[in-house]
Amino acid sequence: MEMERSDEVTRRKFLMSSAGAALFSMSGCERIEKMFLLGSQPGPVVPPSGKGIDLISHALNRLSFGPDPSEYARVKEMGASEEEAVAAYVDEQLDPDSIDDKRATRAVRRFEAIHAPLAEMYEYKEEFLLEQMTRATLVGATRSKRQLFEMMVHFWSDHFNIDASKEECRWLKAADDREVIRKHALGNFSEMVRASALSPAMLWYLDGRENRKRNEDEKPNENYARELLELHTLGVDGGYSQKDVMEVARCLSGWTVRGLDRMLKKGKVSFDPEAHDDGAKVVLGHEIAAGGGETDLDAVLEIVCGHPSTAQYLAQKLCVRFIDDDPSQDAVEATAKAFSESGGDIKTTLRALFSTKAFLEGSRGSKLKRPFEFIISALRGSRAEVRSELALIDYLVRMGHAPFQYPTPDGYPDVASPWSGTLLWRWHFAIALARNEIDKKIKVDEADLIEKAGGVAGLSASLLGRVPTEEESASITRSGEALALLLASPGFQWR
Amino acid sequence: MKGTGIVSGKGDEQRTLVVVFLRGGADGLTLAPPVGDQVYHDLRSNIAVSEDEVLKLGDANCGLHPAMSGLHDVFKDGGLSVIPAVGSEDETRSHFYAQDLMEHGGPVAGGWLGRFLRYREGRQPTALSAVALGKKMPEVLRGAPAATVMESMDTFSLGKKGVSTAKFKAELAGLYGAETSLLGPAARDTLQALDRVAELAKTSYSPEHGAEYGDDSFSNGLRQAAQLVRARVGLEAVSLDLDGWDSHFAQETLIAPMITRLSEGLSTFYQDLGPLMRKVTVVVMTEFGRRVAENSSFGTDHGSGGLMMVMGGKERGLVGTMPKLDAGTLIGPGDVPVVTDYRSILIPELKMHAVCETVGEIFPGFAQEK
Repeated sequence: MEMERSDEVTRRKFLMSSAGAALFSMSGCERIEKMFLLGSQPGPVVPPSGKGIDLISHALNRLSFGPDPSEYARVKEMGASEEEAVAAYVDEQLDPDSIDDKRATRAVRRFEAIHAPLAEMYEYKEEFLLEQMTRATLVGATRSKRQLFEMMVHFWSDHFNIDASKEECRWLKAADDREVIRKHALGNFSEMVRASALSPAMLWYLDGRENRKRNEDEKPNENYARELLELHTLGVDGGYSQKDVMEVARCLSGWTVRGLDRMLKKGKVSFDPEAHDDGAKVVLGHEIAAGGGETDLDAVLEIVCGHPSTAQYLAQKLCVRFIDDDPSQDAVEATAKAFSESGGDIKTTLRALFSTKAFLEGSRGSKLKRPFEFIISALRGSRAEVRSELALIDYLVRMGHAPFQYPTPDGYPDVASPWSGTLLWRWHFAIALARNEIDKKIKVDEADLIEKAGGVAGLSASLLGRVPTEEESASITRSGEALALLLASPGFQWR
Repeated sequence: MKGTGIVSGKGDEQRTLVVVFLRGGADGLTLAPPVGDQVYHDLRSNIAVSEDEVLKLGDANCGLHPAMSGLHDVFKDGGLSVIPAVGSEDETRSHFYAQDLMEHGGPVAGGWLGRFLRYREGRQPTALSAVALGKKMPEVLRGAPAATVMESMDTFSLGKKGVSTAKFKAELAGLYGAETSLLGPAARDTLQALDRVAELAKTSYSPEHGAEYGDDSFSNGLRQAAQLVRARVGLEAVSLDLDGWDSHFAQETLIAPMITRLSEGLSTFYQDLGPLMRKVTVVVMTEFGRRVAENSSFGTDHGSGGLMMVMGGKERGLVGTMPKLDAGTLIGPGDVPVVTDYRSILIPELKMHAVCETVGEIFPGFAQEK
């Protein structure tokens, strides 16, 4: 065992280094990157001019990871009024394929390993995969113009949380991110749950692969069945019983995944009829006849995804993400209704949410940016040139918000209070970024930002989504470090 | 919304847990050699610690290595638990796998200490809640709500050394002073903590009670930990490694200096903190013990049951006994059996540190079996 292990590590190291070499040789791509970073011509900067956060800034705060300085003007141009402009922006963002995103796509393609076929993932060192995956996530969130899509990826990564440090999730999470989260982020909820249920990483993470019933004495493993009901669909108060958990586990018994101890087809998911409990079951009052075999899975998913509690629970979570830590029940009801009536169509559901009074007229700047959102919004708002994301990962770890590293299945919390202890590192980051002290690979040009925004007041408005208060302006002037203080200020911590 | 309380005014309520990981599989039978077991001497005819030299722990059937006089004194003071034959469910005897398993708290995601900090009750963790002393974040802290790899006190300071941030901090104090949200009190606490850290970075630390730390990196780490404990900046967890216990070859030469470093470092820390040790618990663990029989190069190979030690926090003493090393007891290729699961030692310690109703979330599979 010991010998085999070290051989494997050496082999992976070798492969990793050849992959590393391949990356280095991509000078052509790097050149294109460079052109993108320096040569692209963003539109003019016309900062917001309202005393409070207007609807356009509000939409940018919520649908995206914060605006680039020229984004406000771009959206404003999309309609004759704020309402029309935001409606057009929502339409645009709900149709990501219509957005030309070649540059961001190319920037993410650099991380070759995470695009490899499943079995090949095992050839990489696991730390390398996690690093590549995290960097790709940061690049996508920062650079993609399909901001709402990236925001939903962020949301679903928590909803179907998988910590990549558990057993073979180390190699398999990258495929889950690709085939479950990104593939269905703006698709259909039921299809996403099905993809997740059969995702190799999920079968490892929640022990589904060990859910077997081969004889009288064997008890199915309930772990996945419980989280499917409690976290992925109905929600903890969704009205299911322990009996339902056990029945769902029986339905899903027999699905498994080939591990790294197998020579071939590592990570392949299959159904073993011998390990399936093929008797009759009752799930949430619905009978599932004996002999269903692998179709029991679809029967279960139809019941749980179509359950009214699921619509309610998903609507609640989406409203917490996009509206408020404690969203109005009217907004939740309207969102749940759209979810139910569209059969879990995520775009339809979001469109309904973005049309609620609570979203359009409710409180603005009331959501605390979580550390990931803070960092991305700072990079976007300051047009940072990022040539390596590694230092950013350090900051995320310090603030306890590194992607793919949340240890339990419930995903990172989406309300303010758990994040209140992160100010020190936010300030630290703000100063280091503005002073160009993070490392040589991350650069901002504060003078240029100020010039393009037509002065410090313009930069302030562009970062805060509103004209700064007198106190803020005075403070910014006194500090002599406009960008650092703006990014560290209370106004910039909220979205 | 209550303040986050980096400095709550009740700083003396704060407990700190220090986790020392001996990487490489430390030989429990050398650190705490059996007493009165002839099999040990038969199977280790070249490298057994002679019974005359073993530092006795009362009339226990194991003692301490002669180089551990410092920790022996701590034991006599009632400050040290020695727990022989501890381990995990590991069967691979692979460093990589066994360390992960023990730092994660089972075949689960994230580290047990990280989960503990996330799920324990009470105030929100702060930037200074968890510190890893060394170069990289250990697995045990993976998933923590806040964890920093600290190389020196400057790690926490805003901006590069030498460039003043006083003006910047004054402006932050003003802006956050007007903040009515939960960030208002959080900012106040953070600014206070920054001031304390700045002071620590400025002044050189003087240990108390006549303690004198060595100049090796392990002692240095412990010295920094003591400094942070004294500064009452909200430090809840510290992780610190002592590497190099993989003694396949010429074991005696290899690990004797390590044993000295371990004992000197920990006993100095104990002496320095004095009465404060009531609030500080140090847990010493290793991924597995080593095979009972020595190999042909005067070393030992990877085994099972190893040693754990716990220092401070409350009255301590010997826990459990060293199993007899005869053929009937040994497991696998001739290893010390795992009599005590490491998690059953950790759980009461964690419960003493903070209210955490859901031990099941800290050690998932383990709690269910109980």
